[in-house]
Amino acid sequence: MVRLPGNKSEPGKLRAAFFALLVHVVFLALLVFGLNWKNEAPEALSVDLWADLPSHPIKPAAPVAKTTSQPKPVKPQPQPQPQQKTQPQPQPVIKAAPPPVRKPEIALKDKTEKPHPEKEVKKPEPVKKEAPKEAPTQKTVEKPVPKEAIKKPEPIKKETPKIEPAKKVEQKDDAQQRAEAHKQAQQQEQQMAAAQARAMGEIEKYKAMIQAKIRSRIIMPPDLPGNPAAEFTVTLLPGGDVLTVILRKSSGYPVFDDAVERAIYLAKPLPLPPDPGLFSAFRNLNLAVYYRE
Amino acid sequence: MSKTITQDLSFLHLIGGASLPVQLVMLLLLLASLVSWWFIFRKLFTLRQEIKQTDEFESVFWRGSDLNALYQRAASARHVAGSMERIFEAGFREFTKYQSGVDIGPVMDSTRGAMRAVYQREMDRLESHLSFLATVGSVSPYVGLFGTVWGIMNAFRELSNVGQATIAHVAPGIAEALIATAMGLFAAIPAVIAYNRYASDTAQLATRYESFIEEVSNVLQRRVAKPRDMANFS
Repeated sequence: MVRLPGNKSEPGKLRAAFFALLVHVVFLALLVFGLNWKNEAPEALSVDLWADLPSHPIKPAAPVAKTTSQPKPVKPQPQPQPQQKTQPQPQPVIKAAPPPVRKPEIALKDKTEKPHPEKEVKKPEPVKKEAPKEAPTQKTVEKPVPKEAIKKPEPIKKETPKIEPAKKVEQKDDAQQRAEAHKQAQQQEQQMAAAQARAMGEIEKYKAMIQAKIRSRIIMPPDLPGNPAAEFTVTLLPGGDVLTVILRKSSGYPVFDDAVERAIYLAKPLPLPPDPGLFSAFRNLNLAVYYRE
Repeated sequence: MSKTITQDLSFLHLIGGASLPVQLVMLLLLLASLVSWWFIFRKLFTLRQEIKQTDEFESVFWRGSDLNALYQRAASARHVAGSMERIFEAGFREFTKYQSGVDIGPVMDSTRGAMRAVYQREMDRLESHLSFLATVGSVSPYVGLFGTVWGIMNAFRELSNVGQATIAHVAPGIAEALIATAMGLFAAIPAVIAYNRYASDTAQLATRYESFIEEVSNVLQRRVAKPRDMANFS
């Protein structure tokens, strides 16, 4: 009866397809380029890595550099000029990535000026010039990049000069390097010692804090004669939780022993240094608690 | 160690590094998402045009214009006419097939029947592809979840081969598995939103058409009461 209405052509099929594709392309582009998947993570990681370290190594390093070098305040600023003339070797070390235009210049100077500066400057150098030369390199390496660990830049300093001058001036540089290496070893030792002392200080500090916290929790039994001491071995968990408390040496008064033991459990979590590397010193803690201070 | 992990976590690396079933799931979801967006835009254009045409025809019809002229216009512009115009056209054609003097009951019945038929067909056209959107909206999260579960299963199975398990061993596997869920949701959310929107739009149009059918049959019935006018129609 009724004729079929002609199939109505649907509007914008192609346009719709185009829009659909556009939506996906935009979304994908947003995902790939909009979010910095790659860049975010390394930043966070590098912060994690260096958060604790710089406080130990850099402070001891600074005074060393200061004492050895007098012309230091002058040298670092006009760096490019004095170094190009007098010290052709250390330059590539200081500037790890100089603009590529500079390199040929240095190479040229190496060839042309080598004989003169080597004889003029280097002869009196080995002992005296050592320090000033050493100082600016340290300055440039350590100051602007305080996050870099001490251990990393140092091997580079040792090795890179070795390779480059070795071809041309071997004997002088040998002496120089030995002196340098010696100096750096000394420095390193000093820094290690300083770091160790610092760690020891930290451990002592936290031990005192633990003592104080436990002491504040003790309910002292009244009227004990003398100054009895109870010694305990406390096993700690990372985070400061108390795992076990073992009475190592009784004070002779069970009342006092019990009070101290209770106090140790009450005092948890015990304060621990934030550096997890120091925890090993606290795992089995020997505590001696005196009745009187 | 840390460096390799951060490099692996880029988006395209994760997709490339996923196992084959997970990649298939992702491909399926991408296709579903593409097609559903295609339908979303098609439906968007169709419905928008439909509503506009219905508005226009309704205003013209109720302005009291001549039914005969309206019919002529609708019949000539059948391929671009809106649904309401087509319904009117079918009903009026059926009505004019009966000449005066015939009992009014069967005439109105068949007129209404003709309009109903076109109405059903038009509704069918408007609702086409909506079911696909509904399917994508409800199923693709599960498909994505399947991909994720599969990927995590693999990540943990690989973990069992490693002596010392760290989060770094499972993290890339889980991350790449979770992309499947993300894609499922990306396909599903717009589809569900569009489905709900278009379903309510079509329902509104359907109500308008149904009431229009009733109104047109009333108008035509009144016409029969004045048979002299009918002489003009043929």
